[in-house]
Amino acid sequence: MLLRVAHAIETHGLTRRFDGRVAVEGLSLTIEAGTVFGFLGPNGAGKTTTVRMLAALIAPTDGDAIVAGHVLGVDDTALRGSVGILTEQPGLYDRLSARQNLRYFARLYDLEPSRADAQVERYLHLLELWDRRDEPVGTFSKGMRQKLAIARALLHEPSVVFLDEPTAALDPEAARTVRDFVKGLKAEGRTIFLTTHNLPEADELCDGIGIFQRRLLRVGSPRELRASLFGAGTVVNVVGDAARYVPVVRTLGFVREVRADDNTLTVQLDDPDSRNPELIDALQGAGARIRYVEPLQHSLEDVYMRLVGGHA
Amino acid sequence: MKKALIVLEKEWLELRLQPTLLLATLILPPLITAFAVAGFFVVGKISSGVSLPATPLPPEFAGLSLLEIGQAIIGKQFSTLFLLLPIFIPSVLASYAIVGEKRERTLEPVLATPIRTWELLLGKILAALIPALGITLLSATVFVAGVLTFAVTDRVREIVVTPGWIVAVLVDTPLLALIGVALIVVLSSRVNDPRTAQQISAVLVVPVLGLLFGQLAGVIVLGPALALGIGVILAIIAAGALWAATRLFQREVILTRWR
Repeated sequence: MLLRVAHAIETHGLTRRFDGRVAVEGLSLTIEAGTVFGFLGPNGAGKTTTVRMLAALIAPTDGDAIVAGHVLGVDDTALRGSVGILTEQPGLYDRLSARQNLRYFARLYDLEPSRADAQVERYLHLLELWDRRDEPVGTFSKGMRQKLAIARALLHEPSVVFLDEPTAALDPEAARTVRDFVKGLKAEGRTIFLTTHNLPEADELCDGIGIFQRRLLRVGSPRELRASLFGAGTVVNVVGDAARYVPVVRTLGFVREVRADDNTLTVQLDDPDSRNPELIDALQGAGARIRYVEPLQHSLEDVYMRLVGGHA
Repeated sequence: MKKALIVLEKEWLELRLQPTLLLATLILPPLITAFAVAGFFVVGKISSGVSLPATPLPPEFAGLSLLEIGQAIIGKQFSTLFLLLPIFIPSVLASYAIVGEKRERTLEPVLATPIRTWELLLGKILAALIPALGITLLSATVFVAGVLTFAVTDRVREIVVTPGWIVAVLVDTPLLALIGVALIVVLSSRVNDPRTAQQISAVLVVPVLGLLFGQLAGVIVLGPALALGIGVILAIIAAGALWAATRLFQREVILTRWR
């Protein structure tokens, strides 16, 4: 059993097996309060199983976790009351109106009727659904349904929110609205556990990223993940063929790798901020006319493909 | 318990928004009662052209006039239907409340709230049982009033509204209804269509039909003791069915085993 309650989510060796098949293996993770954590992995990697365990919907086979201050498996009813979850499917009652849907869930989350009504009104306004409040949800677009499902997850003002693919299958405008809303939740100090396949979205929203495929392959901030996999680097664009400067760059002891491509030199080095002046001096000393210098950028997709591709 | 009532309230709200289902399900008892009372009344007024059925009559019909026999047969046949209705109605309601919710994938968000699974199950069972039993008992009361009013003699009243039948309606039918709902829960883990669940659960009608034909053939006399005995057996079956339903209606099982 865990003794500390220092983080919004803390897991140690969390494992789940289904009939001998391991879905989640030894997940140890710490997520700071008030941050957005992206949980990335391919289909069938065990992301939804992890969310279900952390939201006390299914029990782990092994391991411990503390979520929103509650030890998993001790008082799961209280834990469920402290977290909000957007499930993979919106799961709304099509015949009921938006207001009736939310009111039902507000009552299940132990809100008194008057408070329930106030919260329902607040979130319908916040997610711009107030004008459609009394219409059956079956008539709503996919984006509206998703927004309503997000509202449902927040009615009881949880400190930890699990969002399972919140922008999947949404049009760009609706997806942007949802992303802005997630940023707003973070600004309110909530902890967001986000699973998504949308890597630019994860890059934009997340403070921390976990790449997961049955087990945690790598964890860190997007910047840390890039640095740990690809190292830091500098891109130098020169006039003329860049290949002729490769031997000069290789003589520099701090350079780990150099590659030339037309006018561009891609230089991998450990500490660009302090080493770039030396690199530029060496190039200019060799007669290079430099057009521009910029840091080497790897996308989160590169990180993901490097990690998941290697384990697929 | 409070959350079971919240679930029950939501179920009834959804039911009210399905007028066709509501009408098709709940209209049956009043309709049968109207036919039963009308038939009972009309048969009691026919004084000629009545002939006895070819099948042997139950011993209790001995010495009755043709009019009495006509009313007694009509009354007996319709009275047995009141034992069937509480099986049919809650099965329909429960199949939409549980299989329907499974099909629409609305159960997971509910299970993610601080509700306990027994509260959710209880809410759904009550939402199906209360209207079914309420409308059936109300219709049965109207039926009894019709029989007492329009019976041509006291003997007809005694043959149709027997203590055994009253015990069966009050004790056995709620238990049959409960078994029906529990069976729907068990079936919910395997089927995705409410109609399939209803069709399979219709198997519960068979023992009641056996009782009907047994009575009409004079093989079975449904006295209070027999009705209570059946009640005890049904209570044991209901307990078993509820146990199975409770085992299958667990958060973990619903999310990982229901297909």
